[in-house]
Amino acid sequence: MIINKTSILALPKQNLKKIITMTLVFSSLRTKIFNKRMKAHKKSNHKMDEYKVSIYKYAKMLCLLGLFVQATLLRAQDVIDLSGAWGFQTDVMDFRRGSLSPRYNHVLQETIKLPGITDDYQIGYKNPYKYIDRLTRKYEYMGPAWYQRDIEIPADWKGKKIFLYFERTHWLSSIYVDTKEVSSIDYVSVPHNHDLTAFVKAGKTHRITVCIDNRFQYNTHKWNHAHTEFTQINWNGILGEMKLMAIDPVYLEDLQVYPNITDHSIKVKLQVNNVTKKQVKGKVSFAIAGTNYSLKNEIALVSTDSITYVETNIPLGKQIKLWDEFNPNLYRISCQLNTSDGKNSYRNEKSTTFGMREVKQGKNHVLLNNRPIHLRGNVENAVFPKTGHAPLDDASWERIMVLMKEYGMNHLRFHSWCPPAAAFRMADKHGIYFEVEMPMWGKDAEPDEARYNFFRREIKAILKEYGNHPSFILYCNGNEITGNFDFIEELTAEGRKADPRHLYSGSTARTRVKSDQYYVSQQTNKGPVKVYEGLPGTDWDKNMESDVDVPVISHESGQRCIYPNFDEIKKYANSPVEARNFEVFKDLLQKNGMLDQANDFFRASGALTVLEYKAVIEGLLRSGKSAGFQLLSMNDFPGQGYAPVGIFDPFWDSKGLVTAEKFREFCAPTVALLRYDKSSYFNTETFKGKAEVYNFSNSALENAKIKWWLTDTAGRVLQKGSLKKQTIANEHVSPVGEFEIPLKNISSQKVTVHLAVNDKIKNSWDIWVYPKHQNLMQSTDKVLYTDIYDAAAKKQLAQGKTVVFYPSPASVKGRKSMFHNHFWNPIMFAWAPMTIGNLVHHEQAMFKDFLTSSHTDWQWWDILNNAKVIEMQHAPQKLRPFIQVIDSYDNNQKLGIGFEAKVNGGKLLLLALDTKTDMDKRPATQQLLYSIDKYVNSDKFSPQVPLDETFIQSFLTK
Amino acid sequence: MLRTVVFPMMTFLLGQTLMAQEIIFERKAPVSQVYKEAVEAEDALPMNDLNIEFGYVLYQTEINIDTESKELELENVRDYAVVYVDGKLQGTLTDQDKTLIIQVDPGNHTLQFYVENIGRITYGPEITDNSKGLFGNVTLDGNNIQNWKMVPLNVRNYPIKDLVFEQNPGTDTPGFYQGQFDFNHPQNMYLNMTGWGMGEVWLNQRYLGSYWEEEKQQSILIPSENLVTGKNELVIFELKNNKQKKISLSPTPIFK
Repeated sequence: MIINKTSILALPKQNLKKIITMTLVFSSLRTKIFNKRMKAHKKSNHKMDEYKVSIYKYAKMLCLLGLFVQATLLRAQDVIDLSGAWGFQTDVMDFRRGSLSPRYNHVLQETIKLPGITDDYQIGYKNPYKYIDRLTRKYEYMGPAWYQRDIEIPADWKGKKIFLYFERTHWLSSIYVDTKEVSSIDYVSVPHNHDLTAFVKAGKTHRITVCIDNRFQYNTHKWNHAHTEFTQINWNGILGEMKLMAIDPVYLEDLQVYPNITDHSIKVKLQVNNVTKKQVKGKVSFAIAGTNYSLKNEIALVSTDSITYVETNIPLGKQIKLWDEFNPNLYRISCQLNTSDGKNSYRNEKSTTFGMREVKQGKNHVLLNNRPIHLRGNVENAVFPKTGHAPLDDASWERIMVLMKEYGMNHLRFHSWCPPAAAFRMADKHGIYFEVEMPMWGKDAEPDEARYNFFRREIKAILKEYGNHPSFILYCNGNEITGNFDFIEELTAEGRKADPRHLYSGSTARTRVKSDQYYVSQQTNKGPVKVYEGLPGTDWDKNMESDVDVPVISHESGQRCIYPNFDEIKKYANSPVEARNFEVFKDLLQKNGMLDQANDFFRASGALTVLEYKAVIEGLLRSGKSAGFQLLSMNDFPGQGYAPVGIFDPFWDSKGLVTAEKFREFCAPTVALLRYDKSSYFNTETFKGKAEVYNFSNSALENAKIKWWLTDTAGRVLQKGSLKKQTIANEHVSPVGEFEIPLKNISSQKVTVHLAVNDKIKNSWDIWVYPKHQNLMQSTDKVLYTDIYDAAAKKQLAQGKTVVFYPSPASVKGRKSMFHNHFWNPIMFAWAPMTIGNLVHHEQAMFKDFLTSSHTDWQWWDILNNAKVIEMQHAPQKLRPFIQVIDSYDNNQKLGIGFEAKVNGGKLLLLALDTKTDMDKRPATQQLLYSIDKYVNSDKFSPQVPLDETFIQSFLTK
Repeated sequence: MLRTVVFPMMTFLLGQTLMAQEIIFERKAPVSQVYKEAVEAEDALPMNDLNIEFGYVLYQTEINIDTESKELELENVRDYAVVYVDGKLQGTLTDQDKTLIIQVDPGNHTLQFYVENIGRITYGPEITDNSKGLFGNVTLDGNNIQNWKMVPLNVRNYPIKDLVFEQNPGTDTPGFYQGQFDFNHPQNMYLNMTGWGMGEVWLNQRYLGSYWEEEKQQSILIPSENLVTGKNELVIFELKNNKQKKISLSPTPIFK
């Protein structure tokens, strides 16, 4: 909301909102020459070369002229930096509501340093709680807070426009000059620029009091990442640039640059404001500069009214380079406005970065510069616990963009928020494609006219503020919206009309609207397009489901929960938030006797998430008809129950689970892919692989050599071969050939299938090869195999002998066992499996003939999906199951699928596993049973922990 | 100005296509062909207890009515239910609108709810309770209805070729409708679902997509490669009987 009293008070009524469009005249000789050349070019196409040379010469000449002009420039715009100490006071009573002494009438007694937030100074409600579902903000403050400074307005600012500028605040900023409220602004996504011209006097010192109110100004969803306590906090303060500016009264209010890549030109749209109430004449000089590029141009201007819109096309010549993720070529345009009313002359300058790129809606893809791109993206949720707010500086954002590139990504979706300018700058520089949103989620589209009007202003402000950034390719209103979709259509259609430099979408993952130019969703009307988890086979994709009337991007794929890493607790020492929930989880784990396993749980579940993400991303890359995916997420999400789903922690520090190099094997512009039916084989079978190459790089792979080979665990090459040499197109997922590997002589249980394109693009997949086993689980006098704990079993134990007890999953109480770790987090979603993967005690002797690491991999698929989780918290503390299931971290009970113990003087091994159904299709289960057979018949089998029989009865159904 | 140029062309194109591509559905396979094993219980069980992640379940019971008009009220329905009494459509219910007046003669009747579960919810106050289907009390004028039979419907994965269609059976209950059309110029087309209620579509026995009259989007893309030259077969599973017997193809997407 802009309640900008200046605009009402300062302008004469007849000028208000009266707008004329100027007729433009090319006034300079140089421009005329330029025009002439363009005409000559049109007449004769075969003079192209000559034309190119001329342009180049011309540019050089302009460059020299430019230097001359710059040398004679008038003085710079006047700016007073307002960072530093300010008077400060909290206002939990909200004194404006009725007090005779509201804060702005007083000299504020405390001080604060700005830019900053109240949390930086431990201001607010000292939080006594330990929030479980999020990080805990140490000092909560929500209400008006007052910031004050006496500022002398320089005497030579007389006659100028004076603006008070804050780069970012939360959420309503109101300005009081001396004791009078003069302006208030409530944008969330863009800077607040208060016009103080009519209220301050040059040469005088004014008391400027600022009220920042971070209460929700409209009834919007409390989860919106623009101000949720779940990720960045709902801070109170002023951030980024803060300054008082004086500019001449004829000035450039807006500068928008619209690239046209077909004729190598830009359309420049200017809004010139003139508050002199006089006609002014003059010119606008443009200087365009980039690497090895410089061009100048100018146009004449006559302004007879308060607002003048100027539109001009500037041909840039063919040497101008396009912008994309591979070559993020940037240019800067500076516009200098020089005008005069005959008596006084005025000067103002505005500049912006731009890139030569166009975005269009393709059949299944977003087209950038008329070529399909594929979005490999991360959902960006404003997770910034170090500062409690999104960074405003380039370095912090550059770090994230560089990480994206290192991990093969080219896209960020800003979920229900829009980042500050630094994020766009760094994405422009590194070639990352942005999707940005308003603070809109859930029921925010239900009828509420005040809220609707806020969104109507906010979308316009976002488009105006960030529209020039080439990285800004997609705009969506918000996340998973419900309510009135006529309103969503209105916003979407208005956006398309206002600024065609981006593609528009009504809402992620909800009702489609007519103006949608793309769709981010879990599902289309053709079926699910999200991928939350992998499968042991890879011969599937989301092509059919993605093929609708607009490009479809897979929404929030991934979301596999990792056990928290309690080492992160200490990272919050200097943050506005801390991981008190981790302390609660940690204490609970200690109470339950497993604190020594915390790191093992983190590593084992982390490894599972990495292999799930490889499978998820490859599935989405095999889907060439998809426009891309948005992974949720590369970094942890510290709210909504706390979702440690990232391979990075909330500080964007790697958890050490996967290297960037390994990640790029399955997430990069070019990826070798392999379709196969399953991961576990009998050695009588043949592995069949169908190779594909995902190539959304900027070129085809000419005469590509494609090799496959098979290695054992020692890295020895067992078999190898080549596929047909061929050229692999870009912008496609191409089948490149099939191969078969007979597995009969494979003795290594785990082998790795490798695929390489031109020895550079490499990827690999582990498969498992097992012999067929007959005569498993044969009872002898010494060893009894049983699926019921009956008198015979008890007798066998009482005789000091061995019982191997394989209860059917149905006969065991407890949770269903599942291969996958929990979706998102078990606190928010209390549904199966409520477990976070498995820790395998792989060095123990029962695994001697079953190759496994400490975490579960795809060979565990049929074992885990046919098992049951036993609640073991009441078993002796020393008893650790050899297949240990990792519980939800807010529960932290001891869980297992298999354990061994001394019972009634005998030796018991128990595994809650179905050993009967479809055994001829379960090679890994056979092998595990074989390994256990050998173990229980060996002298290695010597359980140490005594267990009371009543415990066994406790988890069996009657 | 643009309109005067474009409009006659569009009319021409649409006219050509629509005239040629109106598809009549005269054959129907009743939904009973895709019934899975029924579960009986005193109270209506959520789909979670029936191990149904998403899809359709028929909740059925017998009621005795002593007056002509009765108010039916559900405690929970997620996400959508179509109500039939003795095979006649009474209306639809959602969690936002959980009451319905049913009008039938006094006596014994079969009450059926065909319930669709569109999947798990991922936010909002209900996330801690992710129950789906029909659960809690179901009342008729305040009296609890009990003795439920719950029949999961195998709609999405049923082999379409195994359905047995009848000519004009004249029944109102949900079912699969079959129609045919000729196509000679392979190109992307949109199936215009306007007028149909809620359901799913197969083209040439291959899954094509789903639709719901409450959505703004009213069309499903048919990729050109899914069309064959000559005779093509469409099968529509319709949950809510809107008594539609026709459908048309459009060269552009349809939105309300």
